[in-house]
Amino acid sequence: MKSVNRQPPAVLFMILLSFMTTVMAGPAVVVEAQWVREAPPASTVLAAYMVLKNTTDTPRTVTRIDSPDFRNSQIHRTVMENGIAKMLPVERLELPVDGSVVLEPGGLHLMLFEPQRTLRDGDTVVLVIHVDNGDSVTVHAPVVRKTDATDHAHHHH
Amino acid sequence: MSISSNSSTLRLVLKGVIIAVLATAAGIWSARLVLQRPVVEDELAATRFPVARAVQPFELIDHNHEVFDNAALQQRWSFVFFGYTYCPDVCPTTLSVLNSIAQRLQDVDADIRFVMVTVDPQRDTPERLAEYVTYFNGDFLGVTGSDEALEQLTRQLGILYNRVESEPGSENYLVDHTAAVFLFDPDGRYHAVFTPPLSAENIAGDFRKMLKATQ
Repeated sequence: MKSVNRQPPAVLFMILLSFMTTVMAGPAVVVEAQWVREAPPASTVLAAYMVLKNTTDTPRTVTRIDSPDFRNSQIHRTVMENGIAKMLPVERLELPVDGSVVLEPGGLHLMLFEPQRTLRDGDTVVLVIHVDNGDSVTVHAPVVRKTDATDHAHHHH
Repeated sequence: MSISSNSSTLRLVLKGVIIAVLATAAGIWSARLVLQRPVVEDELAATRFPVARAVQPFELIDHNHEVFDNAALQQRWSFVFFGYTYCPDVCPTTLSVLNSIAQRLQDVDADIRFVMVTVDPQRDTPERLAEYVTYFNGDFLGVTGSDEALEQLTRQLGILYNRVESEPGSENYLVDHTAAVFLFDPDGRYHAVFTPPLSAENIAGDFRKMLKATQ
């Protein structure tokens, strides 16, 4: 999501003043460090990772994350129980005031089923983050090839 | 949901339940074996057995359609992970760790191989496994076999796996599975196990110590 950093001209600012709460409030949730792990050629299931931040003064909930580049998606959490890796569906992600939720390998992740086209390192996919206040935030996530355990998979802007 | 997808779902669930029951029984049986004499050594992240344990006969096939059995474990060290190719998070992460271990151990004077055995033989054909594992490292080997053949190996190692529906009626089921990495020595014996969280640095370090101890 592009943040609104530029100062609008004063006249425009005055005109927009009445719409300020809706237009200028910015998204309820800010998305950072988003990336999709490139999958081996045979794979039809991919995972996306990101940091979701609540910059508002109200607790927010992410209810769903979609992608037009995949047939379906689900938020999952990988948990280890007695050495067994399990993936549990997560219905919603609670974002406290000034809080964030991290989706990262081995933990929370967005499962992406059946890409609509071949996705290789350097490609970009669209993710739409739906928030409980009705907002949706659209971001572009780079596809990143990661085949070793170093932490270099972060990212372009 | 249609009747046919209902019955195929039911079959899938039943199969999952049967596998889960068998795997749990096998797990309890082998956990007992493991618990008899586990040694967690202070200087190792791994659990190494005081005496490496013989592996009972098993026979699977690798992604080149070659037999992968007890004899295939001989003559070299084998790091073995159990996973599946439809696994988007844990398996790519683990294979990336294994690739990092391989790179860290390039200077070691020992023949080392990295193997992923599928816990999803219905979907993971040798061809599919070949594409998947070699994406991470061209020398990695994928192994598969029938459910029964797979159990010959998983049962004795205490590997548990269980199919779980992700989307109702979908082909996209998930498989809960033991996430440990198993180490076999060049005599084809079960030498050590590394349990998550898996660290390439720790595992490579442990391997060097264990190798030294055997030389």
